[in-house]
Amino acid sequence: MKAQPTRWLIWKWISKTCWSNSSTLKKIAPGGATPGATSGTVYGKVPKNWSGEIMSSTDVGTARTARGRELNLQQQRVRAAYMFLIPMLVMLAVVAAWPLFRSISFSFTDASANTIFNGQSEWIGFENYLERRVRSNGEVRWRGILADGDWWNAVWNTVRFSLISVSLETFFGLLVALVLNAEFKGRGLVRAAILIPWAIPTVVSARMWGWMLNDQFGIINHLMMSIGLIDQPIAWTASSDTSMIAVLIVDVWKTTPFMALLILAGLQLIPRDMYEAAKIDGVHPVRVFFKITLPLLRPAIMVAVIFRALDALRIFDLIYLLTPQSDATVTMSVLSYREIQQFGDYGEGSAMSTLLFFIITLFVLLYIKLGKVDLSGEKS
Amino acid sequence: MARAVTKQRKTLNTLVAWAVGLLIFFPILWTILTSFKTEAQAINDPPLFLFFDWTLENYGVVQERSDYMRFLWNSIILAGGSTLLGILVAVPAAWSMAFVPSKRTKDILLWMLSTKMLPAVGVLYPIYLLFIELGLLDSRVGLTIVLMLINLPIIVWMLYTYFREIPGEILEAARMDGASLREEILYVLTPMAIPGIASTILLNFILAWNEAFWTLNLTAAKAAPLTAFIASYSSPEGLFYAKLSAASTMAIAPILILGWFSQKQLVRGLTFGAVK
Repeated sequence: MKAQPTRWLIWKWISKTCWSNSSTLKKIAPGGATPGATSGTVYGKVPKNWSGEIMSSTDVGTARTARGRELNLQQQRVRAAYMFLIPMLVMLAVVAAWPLFRSISFSFTDASANTIFNGQSEWIGFENYLERRVRSNGEVRWRGILADGDWWNAVWNTVRFSLISVSLETFFGLLVALVLNAEFKGRGLVRAAILIPWAIPTVVSARMWGWMLNDQFGIINHLMMSIGLIDQPIAWTASSDTSMIAVLIVDVWKTTPFMALLILAGLQLIPRDMYEAAKIDGVHPVRVFFKITLPLLRPAIMVAVIFRALDALRIFDLIYLLTPQSDATVTMSVLSYREIQQFGDYGEGSAMSTLLFFIITLFVLLYIKLGKVDLSGEKS
Repeated sequence: MARAVTKQRKTLNTLVAWAVGLLIFFPILWTILTSFKTEAQAINDPPLFLFFDWTLENYGVVQERSDYMRFLWNSIILAGGSTLLGILVAVPAAWSMAFVPSKRTKDILLWMLSTKMLPAVGVLYPIYLLFIELGLLDSRVGLTIVLMLINLPIIVWMLYTYFREIPGEILEAARMDGASLREEILYVLTPMAIPGIASTILLNFILAWNEAFWTLNLTAAKAAPLTAFIASYSSPEGLFYAKLSAASTMAIAPILILGWFSQKQLVRGLTFGAVK
């Protein structure tokens, strides 16, 4: 209620037209509170607009014909739409555009823990990214992230992790979704149980799994040894051979449920008659799956995959918590964080996240273009 | 005959589904079980499943070490506050995108997606600096705003997909009957979208509840929520697995309870909001 007069003032100021479809539940507004009502007591034959409101002279002017009225209404809606979008866009700018801009500008400076707060860092161009140095003996050396083996190791780890985890999650997600789509007893209960891994904080799941994967007391080693899969306990998170596997296990466990639910939604949108028609025609179930289910699921899977891929490419917390110091799992985000937290090198750390951002952007644009993904979900 | 087959299949389905469910749920079950063991029983070989002396001792120790209620309260304020703020901003925005579509609607969607391309690490320090300048570090107000902003794209996106399902003709009819914009949104659109809005609220409450990166980096003691509570139990070398499990159980208990009661809403929220 409070917001209305203010909003009205703003609109009036912008458009200089009158508010013709304002509060109508009260047909005659008390004491001129309704814009457009010039006087609280008007008797006799007064012009009224379509909502039965008493109209001011400007109203009569704009709404004389039905067409004019409609146009006016439409204009108002478009204006309102902009007014409603502006707060959100401003907030998006605050949370996305501005920090991104600052991060990118940091990446061209030598900002460190000492200089970042008082703004004394200096502009050094692309030196954080790549720098050519000629030594006194004429030897040419390259410095910067792009010449850094650690960076390329992190790139490889990120790509490897994203590819494997998203593929596994899509595959298992599809399986679980097919299971959940069938009719069975206690469906709600099972669905809730499956959803829980996704709904608990990564901090907790990393701790839980860190313990379950423990080399001495972990239940995973115990179970695997008791069924004869391994001969001796494996230090899953500590050994560089297995730390990536450990991270993948936890991530797949945590995210498959989410994937499964997204795919399940797609499954439930497939009309039942399609299956019935296939059944009557005697089509083999496997063929039905590949010819009906999968093609119709494609849009759902494509959208689910891109959301997952975005998270996977940026993965930070799980790796940072589960295998903090392992070179075999360090990803671009983790390396960037390490650069800043441990070495106080804000310039290089920012350069790394800037590169990561552009890599992800490129990936998304390619994905949308090549995969013909329609994000707005409109059937075009 | 046919009926017998379907019944058999249903039993099989049930078995498979329950096995999958149990497999996925096992780590959590194991953590909860461990939280009731003594430290010695927790590292017992072979592992003890159900037959051990159930004890509540660990919970007492954890509560003594850190004030659980304070963290819980912070979590509730942060998650609740950021979700409500987000909804207030997002409902009108989603209305605009769904019912007054323009050429830019798609651009806005893409732009919202682009916030998911930003590595959190990259935007942490700009926001951290801003927080220092504004004196918002370790304050609930600051963190609520940050969490709201982080989840805003998802909230808008979900509401947009729900709103699009609502026939525009109904809103038009309301307008023809003389409803103002405010009434149209408040009394016509919102009631029709209540299930969608409820799912959105629920989903974002959980997302905000679980958010750890920002809460850990932007809080110290005052505004720290449950994710910080569990993160404080960090050294795995010290053999205190039972206590760690107790702390984990305490941190996830509210979500387990909430998820339990609102499972249907949550599933619907996840499925219809994100895919279509």
